[in-house]
Amino acid sequence: MSYDRPYRGGGNRRRHRDDYDDRRRDTYESPADKLKNAIIRFGEVDVLEELPRLEKQIRESTPHVIPNLSEAFRIAVTEQPYKIPYYAALLRRLHDSPEEDAGDTSDISSLGKQILEDFWKGFQAYLDKLAWRETRLCIHFFAHLAVAKLIATDSLFGLLQSFTAVLEEFGVSHGRAKKAAVCAAEGLMIAGPALKSTSAEHVQEIINAIQAYNDTVTSPKLLVGPVLKLYSDEVSSNADELLDTVLQTLRILDESDFAETASSFSQPYTGYEDPDPATFTPYNLPSVLVPPEVIELDGLSTDSGEDAQVKKEEWPEYFLPLFDNDITPDPKTPAGYAVHTGLFDILDIFEVNRKECARLLLEYPKWTISGTFKPKPGGEVVPEPVPGKDWQLESTIIENILGAYMVLPESSHKSIYYISLITELCKLSPSTVGPAVGKSIRKLYSMLGDGLDVEVARRFAEWFAVHMSNFGFQWVWKEWIPDLSLAVQHPKRAFMRRALEFEIRLSYHDRILKTLPAEMQAPEGNTISEQAPGPDFEYDDPAKPHHDNAQSVLNLFRGRAKAEDVISHLETLKTSLETSDDGGLVNADVLIRSIAIQSLLHIGARSFSHLLNAIERYLPLLRNIASGGVSSAGGSGNAEAKADILTASAAFWKHNRHMVAIVFDKLMQYQIVDPTDVVGWTFINRAEIRELVEATGPLSLSAFEWDLLKGALDKANGRVMIARRKVVVLRKEEDDTRARVKASGGADGMDVDAEEKAEDESPAVDSPALTTALKAFASLTREQKGAMSRTLDGFVSCLAPAATDSNPNPYSRVVISEDGWNERAGWEKDQWNAWETWGWYRQFCRSYAPYLRNYSTTLSTVSFAKFEGSTDPAAELLKKTWNVATGQE
Amino acid sequence: MNQRPIANFELCTGELLGGVRKRIRLSPLDQPSNYKDSQTRVDRQKQNDLLSKSTTLYIGNLSFYTTEEQIYELFTKCASPEDGGGIKRIIMGLDRNTRTPCGFCFVEYYTHAEALASMRYVSGTKLDERIIRCDLDLGYKEGRQFGRGKSGGQVRDEHRQDYDPGRGGWGAQAQRLEIERRREVEERYADAQDGPGAVAGGGGDWKEAETSGNESRLKRGRSPEDEGDSMRLGQRSRLDEDVDAERM
Repeated sequence: MSYDRPYRGGGNRRRHRDDYDDRRRDTYESPADKLKNAIIRFGEVDVLEELPRLEKQIRESTPHVIPNLSEAFRIAVTEQPYKIPYYAALLRRLHDSPEEDAGDTSDISSLGKQILEDFWKGFQAYLDKLAWRETRLCIHFFAHLAVAKLIATDSLFGLLQSFTAVLEEFGVSHGRAKKAAVCAAEGLMIAGPALKSTSAEHVQEIINAIQAYNDTVTSPKLLVGPVLKLYSDEVSSNADELLDTVLQTLRILDESDFAETASSFSQPYTGYEDPDPATFTPYNLPSVLVPPEVIELDGLSTDSGEDAQVKKEEWPEYFLPLFDNDITPDPKTPAGYAVHTGLFDILDIFEVNRKECARLLLEYPKWTISGTFKPKPGGEVVPEPVPGKDWQLESTIIENILGAYMVLPESSHKSIYYISLITELCKLSPSTVGPAVGKSIRKLYSMLGDGLDVEVARRFAEWFAVHMSNFGFQWVWKEWIPDLSLAVQHPKRAFMRRALEFEIRLSYHDRILKTLPAEMQAPEGNTISEQAPGPDFEYDDPAKPHHDNAQSVLNLFRGRAKAEDVISHLETLKTSLETSDDGGLVNADVLIRSIAIQSLLHIGARSFSHLLNAIERYLPLLRNIASGGVSSAGGSGNAEAKADILTASAAFWKHNRHMVAIVFDKLMQYQIVDPTDVVGWTFINRAEIRELVEATGPLSLSAFEWDLLKGALDKANGRVMIARRKVVVLRKEEDDTRARVKASGGADGMDVDAEEKAEDESPAVDSPALTTALKAFASLTREQKGAMSRTLDGFVSCLAPAATDSNPNPYSRVVISEDGWNERAGWEKDQWNAWETWGWYRQFCRSYAPYLRNYSTTLSTVSFAKFEGSTDPAAELLKKTWNVATGQE
Repeated sequence: MNQRPIANFELCTGELLGGVRKRIRLSPLDQPSNYKDSQTRVDRQKQNDLLSKSTTLYIGNLSFYTTEEQIYELFTKCASPEDGGGIKRIIMGLDRNTRTPCGFCFVEYYTHAEALASMRYVSGTKLDERIIRCDLDLGYKEGRQFGRGKSGGQVRDEHRQDYDPGRGGWGAQAQRLEIERRREVEERYADAQDGPGAVAGGGGDWKEAETSGNESRLKRGRSPEDEGDSMRLGQRSRLDEDVDAERM
């Protein structure tokens, strides 16, 4: 790939406009702000050289406003963690008495100590808010200060132990435990040299506590590894889990009494003289308690009394390495872990500004120990490469960004953030980042077909397409030509098709076709569609049956006839079809629905806006059709009619999956169909449209069907979320109103007892608005449960079909056996389809786990009832996956 | 009832700055630009207020050939459907006279957070091989879909001196591919209308289905809800006045 000419913009005017967001507004800076900024911007040129200068500036800015100084340190530490060792060095220098005061033996504590004491208050505030990242970075700072002998080691132990105490809380959530464990572990990694020399026992306690917790987290790991083995209870060793990584790193450090800390974390303060023990007492960190998690109690529950609160669980966190350990660091080693966590923090903190983030990532080596990364070619001083390090910066950055992007079941930020960040990096340094991106793509591609998770593969295709869209769609497709001999559903071929489809969505068919070699352009290559993905109006051809009928409907739409006129025309049409000479139609309803829907979509086919206009103009018609023709029927309509609407829509857009997803989404948005209808259709009816689905033949799901399911489930969940928020707001308003009424009610309004009495006298009656909102919430929760239940049922029938089911996939059991998997070189379409369907079932369970948990008992009772006493391996795996996701195993 | 005035104030400023509290060093990409229409009667304060809740983006520097579906695909990546979001509608900017796209559009989401995400992650990246630019917008109002340059397109193209094939700078030299795309584009919006209801609303919040539509309608009498979403939106967006569709 060539990034030689990234973004040759047009005229200067445009360039100026594109850079508008880099503009900074000039504001007045007070002297206090100036000092604060100086502290925060410390080290932008040469950190070691600036150190004494900044120290002097701080000392000379009298009077010292301690809160201002400590706030600057707090911002610096929590927003620029890569500089923490240098802030520790700065604070160490500020602890010394200035030379001119050397003779002064007054017991006023040093400037440094005052700042530290005030800094602690800020830490306490972060902890109270459970701002985990800030808390952890402050612990880094304290750990460095302990090594610099400013903080008493026992008190740091105490601090770390309050975090390991979290691991022993009854019923602690994994998210909380994971964050607490990492706080303690990273503190120990940095402060290890000081801590171990004080008490080897305490060090062991901390490691053991994390180990003991980690031992309890085995089954969830089965569901979130990026490389899977369906047949095995063992977690694939191709990826590193966060707490495993942390523990391995700690072990290595501990074995050498933390000698490796010095070669892993910068310690610019080590050359300083120890503070004089005669006059200096190290700061004792006060003891803390990690506050419990806040549980929002809004008292909303579903009809069946199940708690509908959605709490996003956090899963074990796997990191997928892409390069060998001599190219990029291994996070399971001290130096590798330090780089890994350092880069992850930058990714996380600078999410608000990807351009800044990209710049900082490329500057990262300047904050690491010399020799960590290969020097830039042409640099003045070439440091001696350090054995076991000397890593490639760009490969390391890309590996870490992709690692964060591929975290299952979902990354902490939106996919597009990671994608755009890589784009920025390529723009900043095309010649060095470009090759790293190319190598990463090849590596990920090579993992396809060897168990790379289906969701990881989907994200890979998404990244690939958006990235190519930013760089002229220049990919060397010809290197993958040999893979055209693989089975058509092999993950590599599925990836090529998907990536190209996503590229076309962002561009257009001819443009993308042009980028491919002849072998892939050819229809038999089965890689890209021959034609641009246009609509297909079934009744367009005058030779086709019902062409005239469809024309008559189409003409009404074109003439903007009123909805009721179209409805009555359709009724006439139906009657004539049923009574026609050739014996009448078996099911005229289906045909009428197809004609009406396809004609309406035809009117709306020009653009997304045209579609919306067509739907909005004919909402009464669509509602009439969805209700099965029973005019003014309310409620949720007729399931069969709604399935027909979806079938007609999918048939119309059978060459364009993107439009199918858009039309389905808007049909749900306008409440023509419900999410449950879309789920049901995806599992059952879509097989009727052969052009649309990759997974023809036996029942199974590919990425496209998953996207439809996800669209429907997210819609159902999103509605519950909106309804919940509405109820909460209305409740609060009413509470406020009542409180106001009471407050103005009389002289004894302030009296607590009187208030309680008043409440007894007039029991709260919900306002009509709140009653409506509560009713909507109940309906939507029912719909949510229905959609989840339908999805689970669908997967059960795909993956553990009974021999009597229609069109069962005979391979759904083979692909989950070890022997079956080992023979994958010979797998055909159906085997790969079955394997992919299992992958989407896992994704369903793990990504919707917070919702599924609320309904786990009822859903599993119903869907798994038929497996009672069964030893079917498919049934076993279905249940096991479900139980792990819903926390029952 | 202002129990915690200080905290509330902090929250407000925080939201104004894109949900991220003001930092000295970290400047988020999701802040609105300094764009201010000299003709507007909405003062800066009011404008900031509206922007801090805005779900609409102005997208600039589009190719004239870029379709709504391409825009939909890219901007969906910032959508949060599980949070009740999604793309509500896209309003393509059209040349006033020729009714062909003239290089800008509005993307309206259901939530403010989605608009901010687009500012952070999409603004400044390429779509259809052009670097596009996003800006938080006060919200679409009738008529804003048309360009305001003298010749019908955007003002910026009125004064543009460079050759820009993606923005109408084609002619004899046009590439063959683009001629084909051009033909499609020219026809696509030939039916574009103006006036109330010309632009779809995009579907509102979920509502309980009415069991007997006619009866309840009679009882309630006329309410804006009966007009459908597009009318309601039309009314809502009349809040702002004279906000130019164009920004340079």
